Amino acid sequence: MTNRRQHFADERLLQLLAEQIKLPLLQIARQAELARSAKRPHEHINTIEDTADSSLKLLDSYLLSLRLARVNASIQLEPVSVAAVLSETAQSLSNLARQYDCKLELHISGRYEPIMAHRAGLEAALTSLGYVFIEAQSTLSGDSPAIIKLAAHRGRTGIVAGMFANIDGLSTDMYRRARHLFGQAHQPLNHLTANSGAGVFVADSLLSSMSARLRVAHHQKLSGLAATFTTSSQLNLV
Amino acid sequence: MSSHILLLEPDAILGRTYQSILAKGGHDVRWFRGAGPAIASIDKDLPDLIVIELQLPKHNGVEFLYELRSYQDLVKIPVVVLSNIPPVLKAFRAGLWENLGVVAYHYKPLTKLADLSRSVERIMASTS
Repeated sequence: MTNRRQHFADERLLQLLAEQIKLPLLQIARQAELARSAKRPHEHINTIEDTADSSLKLLDSYLLSLRLARVNASIQLEPVSVAAVLSETAQSLSNLARQYDCKLELHISGRYEPIMAHRAGLEAALTSLGYVFIEAQSTLSGDSPAIIKLAAHRGRTGIVAGMFANIDGLSTDMYRRARHLFGQAHQPLNHLTANSGAGVFVADSLLSSMSARLRVAHHQKLSGLAATFTTSSQLNLV
Repeated sequence: MSSHILLLEPDAILGRTYQSILAKGGHDVRWFRGAGPAIASIDKDLPDLIVIELQLPKHNGVEFLYELRSYQDLVKIPVVVLSNIPPVLKAFRAGLWENLGVVAYHYKPLTKLADLSRSVERIMASTS
């Protein structure tokens, strides 16, 4: 990518990240206003706290992706338990999922050897992805309950880990939108969507620094976004 | 007087918040996250006012408003835009919003709940 294109992509990403952060700030501001006159203000305060926590995580993930991109050549991958990372991610997303009436499930079929990854980076990538999925899912699911699965399964070339949902086309659409962050075209009015997709880009960027690109994938009957990780051969022998 | 408001807001947290504040004004508020179910609902029960975010999943709000204006019996329903998209002066001058029945345009980040309530009450009073 030329410097000019890179600059344009960075600018576009920052713009979309700002748009993404605008939503939780707006939610916080309006919830606070509502809490002032509410009989049971603690309900709104809980929402404010969860929303603020989630947006801080998204910003942290973005900052981590920048740090990892800067030291890409020297990034140290280590054996990481995929089950533990998925479980911790599910834990940190649980409050946000509750706010959005999403059913967040964890599904790890079988026992896996450790994968080679940057643990904090992987957790941040899955959290960013989860943030976008939960938010997008809530706008698309309609009357049926939204199910989001944090899952892992064995693929042809390694362990596939990612986020999956019960709405067809959601991930493909989100991935395409995230790819548009590279700024190939202006978004015309008839393509406006409720979610900027910056979280997908952040996840993609974090995973890229671990040489594991985000792809559209399937888990059981759900479609989603996931990355394939090589396993730690050293620990395989143990 | 209690009236029926159709609220189109894709975000769950904001949707609940706006529904709650409008209901406090004594209105019957039906909240939808997407244009499809909202159109289906209008077929069954005409709202007195529509409050809409233009950024909707699948369809956008402008498409929804064009669809709405294509039916003779729905032409007179006033529309309040409550959107994250800043109001474009050019579109106002060109009469786009007026043609779509938009009687007020609120930019979400700068519109407090109290402002929205006041705007809705004013419109309801002028149409009753």
